[in-house]
Amino acid sequence: MTRDSAAAAPGRSGPGAGRPVDPGPSGSRWERLLEGGLLHGGVQGSPVLRLFMRWVRRPLLPVMRLWRRNIQLKVVATTLLMSLGVVLLLGFVVIGQVRNGLLDAKVKASQSQATGGFAAAKQKADEAASTTTGDDGGTPADGRAPQNVIQWMSDLVKSLSSGGQGAFDVVTLPVGGDSGSGRGPRASGLVDPSASVPEALRQRIDGSTAAAQSYTRIVYSSDQGSQPALVIGKQVNDPNGEPYQLYYLFPLTQEEKSLSLVKGTLATAGLFVVVLLGAIAWLVVRQVVTPVRMAAGIAERLSAGRLQERMKVTGEDDIARLGEAFNKMAQNLQLKINQLEELSRMQRRFVSDVSHELRTPLTTVRMAADVIHDARVDFDPVTARSAELLADQLDRFETLLADLLEISRFDAGAAALEADAIDLREVVRRVVSGAEPLAERKGTRIVVIGDQQPVVAEADARRVERVLRNLVVNAVEHGEGEDVVVKLAAAGGAVAVAVRDYGVGLKPGEATRVFSRFWRADPARARTTGGTGLGLSIALEDARLHGGWLQAWGEPGGGSQFRLTLPRTADEPLRGSPIPLEPPDSRRNRERDTTDAQDAAPSDGSDAGPAAPARTATAATATATGRGPIPPLTTAEPPTADPTALPGNGARVVARPTAGAPRPDGTDGTDGTDGTDAPDETEEADEAERPDTGYRPDTGSRPDAGSEDTHRQGEASRGR
Amino acid sequence: MGADRAGSGRRAPVRAVTYAVCGVVLLAGCASMPDSGDLRGVESTPRQDPQVRVFAMPPREDASPVDIVQGFLEALTSDDPHYETARKYLTAQAAKSWRPERSTAVLAGAPGTVSDHSGSREEANDYSVTLTGAQVATVDAQQSYAPAEGSYRKPVHLTRDGKSRQWRIDVPPQGVVMGKSDFQRNYLSVNKYYFAANTVPETASGTGRRPAAVADPVYVRRRVDSMTQVVRSLVEGPTRLIGPVVRSSFPAGTALAQGAAPLTPDDRNTLTVPLNERAARVGEDTCDEMAAQLLFTLQSLTPAVDEVELRSGGTRLCSLTDDRAEAVATRGSAQRPDSLYFVDGEGGLVRIAAGSNGTRPDPVPGPLGEGETALGSVAVSRDEHRAAGVGADGKSLYVASLEPGASLGDPLLSSAGKGEADRLTPPSWDAQGDLWIADRDPGAARLLVFTEGAGEPAQVRTPGLDGRVQAVRVAADGVRIALIVERDGKRSLLIGRIERETRDGEENPTVTILELRSATPELEEVTAMSWAGDSRLVVVGREQGGVQQIGYVQVDGSTPEASVPAALTGVKEIAATEDERLPLVAYSEDAIVRLPSGMQWQKVTEGTAPVYPG
Repeated sequence: MTRDSAAAAPGRSGPGAGRPVDPGPSGSRWERLLEGGLLHGGVQGSPVLRLFMRWVRRPLLPVMRLWRRNIQLKVVATTLLMSLGVVLLLGFVVIGQVRNGLLDAKVKASQSQATGGFAAAKQKADEAASTTTGDDGGTPADGRAPQNVIQWMSDLVKSLSSGGQGAFDVVTLPVGGDSGSGRGPRASGLVDPSASVPEALRQRIDGSTAAAQSYTRIVYSSDQGSQPALVIGKQVNDPNGEPYQLYYLFPLTQEEKSLSLVKGTLATAGLFVVVLLGAIAWLVVRQVVTPVRMAAGIAERLSAGRLQERMKVTGEDDIARLGEAFNKMAQNLQLKINQLEELSRMQRRFVSDVSHELRTPLTTVRMAADVIHDARVDFDPVTARSAELLADQLDRFETLLADLLEISRFDAGAAALEADAIDLREVVRRVVSGAEPLAERKGTRIVVIGDQQPVVAEADARRVERVLRNLVVNAVEHGEGEDVVVKLAAAGGAVAVAVRDYGVGLKPGEATRVFSRFWRADPARARTTGGTGLGLSIALEDARLHGGWLQAWGEPGGGSQFRLTLPRTADEPLRGSPIPLEPPDSRRNRERDTTDAQDAAPSDGSDAGPAAPARTATAATATATGRGPIPPLTTAEPPTADPTALPGNGARVVARPTAGAPRPDGTDGTDGTDGTDAPDETEEADEAERPDTGYRPDTGSRPDAGSEDTHRQGEASRGR
Repeated sequence: MGADRAGSGRRAPVRAVTYAVCGVVLLAGCASMPDSGDLRGVESTPRQDPQVRVFAMPPREDASPVDIVQGFLEALTSDDPHYETARKYLTAQAAKSWRPERSTAVLAGAPGTVSDHSGSREEANDYSVTLTGAQVATVDAQQSYAPAEGSYRKPVHLTRDGKSRQWRIDVPPQGVVMGKSDFQRNYLSVNKYYFAANTVPETASGTGRRPAAVADPVYVRRRVDSMTQVVRSLVEGPTRLIGPVVRSSFPAGTALAQGAAPLTPDDRNTLTVPLNERAARVGEDTCDEMAAQLLFTLQSLTPAVDEVELRSGGTRLCSLTDDRAEAVATRGSAQRPDSLYFVDGEGGLVRIAAGSNGTRPDPVPGPLGEGETALGSVAVSRDEHRAAGVGADGKSLYVASLEPGASLGDPLLSSAGKGEADRLTPPSWDAQGDLWIADRDPGAARLLVFTEGAGEPAQVRTPGLDGRVQAVRVAADGVRIALIVERDGKRSLLIGRIERETRDGEENPTVTILELRSATPELEEVTAMSWAGDSRLVVVGREQGGVQQIGYVQVDGSTPEASVPAALTGVKEIAATEDERLPLVAYSEDAIVRLPSGMQWQKVTEGTAPVYPG
């Protein structure tokens, strides 16, 4: 089971990196947003529309995020909105009531005043008529009677309006509209009579003798602005008995002032209420939200590993109970985790101790075996054969022990990086020349590409060499006699070395699992040959120690590629690799090349392709088949800047506990790549790599030194 | 200890309740109407009188001749700037020749119409009526008001238009005719200001001779851009009545620039007056005088003008502010006398600071104040350096300086009248320092003037004066004189203009009073009068069959709009000044009373013959 989990993480990294990781950290928010549906539809449109949408959305994003994340904001905003609604509703109701009340009072007062005015006008007309007839009784009616009306009416309007003291204005209009008979309009107080009296009211007054009223706007002939008014009119007779229309116009200025006072008061009060309610809601919610936020923060810290964090608990309310329960939970968690950690530490120490303890007897056994081996010629064939077997398996045993020690040092975090500026070309040359005998035996040619320019990086030459030797030897062993291509490249802040073979390749899913400890492609095959099964694990740990990546790509029958990417300077984080993880001559790429001429661009050895290869690489991994002859591995590369490549890193590798039983196989290099059957040749390959393993014992464990003093990883480094 | 704790525990809520109650009381204070507070002045906004406007309507289709005449008369009372609507009632020919600005006839009531047709001749194409009424006054083409008497009869002829069969007036009355109340509603009296032609007041500083501004009241239509009307009228020149004795600073031929927009003051109360080319080359002093004339005139129309700027042909001639205008010319209404003078119980001349509330008079320095000679009436020169007094018996006139130690000297004039009422009237000083007095002796009634208040009197020629002069008051501008003249038992107020003419070979000019006109035709008996403004007098009189009352009257005979002073009975003498802020003072019921503005009459002290300088 460890194997599975381990496999998932590291091995996958390379090719898989494109796929599963991609949506992870960076893309996820977008996708969530899009899937949220809110903006989903708009994105489908033209690019212009999409750009516009993005432009519109961008400033809103922080707000939306705040809205999603802040319950306090939600509560306060909701309270504000609802109280605003309530205040508005109340305001409308109150203003409506006040308005009706004001108008009722005004209308009643105006009606009584206007009625009195109409009566006064009638009385004056009667008086004038009686004096006229009295004075001029003898004169003919048609010649004499109408004459006084001109001045009489002006005087009437003046006297009627002077009683109002500005509370109203008086207007007279002829009956029958502007073309009707009668005297011209008269108006007091600069009122424009025809514009101020509504036409409908005039017609109504024309038609009946009853008084009628209407609302209107008084228009003044001076600069004064118009104002709303109540107009009451009636048809009255002048001294000659001819009808005219008399109107009282009551400006509603005071009422409007009162109403605006009420409006202002309500608006002010409403504003205060809304603001205060918002503030109250804020305060109240804060009481609840503060402990919740504290709990969230502490939970985050707990999950970050600071298990000793606890909530502060005061009082006995619900929040306090939550805090207590939370603390209890944290305490139990801490206990369990400590227990588990203790357990795992014990296990690791046990492995380390066992390795150490085995070394001493093994040395003795070795010496004895050497004696026996040297004397085998004297034995009968069967015994001689047994002696040889004994010597071989002892070699394997030693290698396995050394690897185990190295791994346990990594697990203990005791591995130290001795970084120095080195030229990777030299390392590659050394490795290639070291693998040359094995390659000749296999009939394989090792081709180095990209070594025209120096490829300099700050790295630990020994570890890099170990990694590369592992990769190259693996490639040669599984390359089925095909060429093995080693490619170097540097770009941006990274350097990379990819090893490509054309052997059996990897089955889907194996690209991640190859880095698992003691993993083998064919479980049925005994681990009597080949490497120890720890080589790639150690290589991965070495890469991780540099802050670099080690990733694998492969396809069934199409070979595989392993890519080591290192930062140019030790501390720099990697953002991409100069070489695509999936080689350009992968099956997929070739297929695409044939269909689509454009995509053909990168030839096999060329430098990184753009983003596209990364994607395809992921797909390719899926199709990679397992076993068979191992084609030469090449490191495929995500594009230089492709962040999707990142997740494949050693980060996940770390978590992996040491794998199961060690295997008596030779080199790291071979066993890591694959659990292929290791023919005899592999053994020799192993030997070729010995120097590598030789290092390992030094660094990882002090078996050679034979010092037993330290079980701990820290000492491992010291032993060196 | 336990008890203590319990006590404090009980006290805490008590305290809280106390605080709460205090808070509630404080809040309640805010929520109730205040019953005390700081003092503050009240800005009174006097309500403008309800201006009734008549909106003239064009003639209706198929209106009867009577309706046409009525519509025409109504249109005359409207505010059409050029009577366009009224002209629609006229035939085209008549509309061209009709000159509404020529004159305005003011009738007592609305004009009546009397049809000249005995029978109904509806089919005929002509129709004539006569406008009738009792004429009260006339406003001539110069917009000068003149009281008039008699009946008004003007024929109006209508004809039926050949094509449209509509009645129209083809012979309208020349000018405008309307009733008195319409006239008062539509017209406004404004003082134009000119400068006295040959009277130059003594200036206190003596540095320059400031001309005296003379008011020339005219009537303009109230709601038809009155400001432009007034300015145009001012520029055109003085009215006929005082034309000979005043001069205008505007060069002959000056007029408002062609196409000048209606004049309105800007935000800073500055009025810009564009004049035509004739005014382009006036000197600075003349321009200042022109501006002063404009400013005085406009201020009598509206207080909303503080500065006048004159322009001609696009160049700025000069501008004059309110403050500087007083340095350019003097106005009677702008000169505030120091004291009120009257005669105390012993016949001595005493004075009280004008406008004060004091009731303790001080004797004036000089012989008149010492009471050597009991005085009946007095007059104090406008510079308040000299006084003239008539003896208690009305027989002798004395003139003395108001300086301590001066001597009285001999009487300047003695009357030979038999009774007290037949001797000398109270004297009056004009702005030049001349002393005017009339002798009421029935045998030798005459009006005299003492040049510089000394020497031999010159008799004033009063052509056309019929009756005995009972009182004399010269206006501050020295151009107008008001006389109370008794004739046939009626005492009426006449106002005329003073003309001085120096003939060759004579040292003193001949003084003539011309154009004497009654200012109060409706008053039967005028008891006393005094100048109370540039063109206004306060008059005590009695209408036929009425009781004595006090009122203001314009020099042209119209009644100003100013409020009537509170009633007072038994007024024998009255004194006012051109400065309207000083109270009216009267001699009534054996006491001096005064009327501060906005209050009732109040008694000052015992005494007779109250006068302000002049």
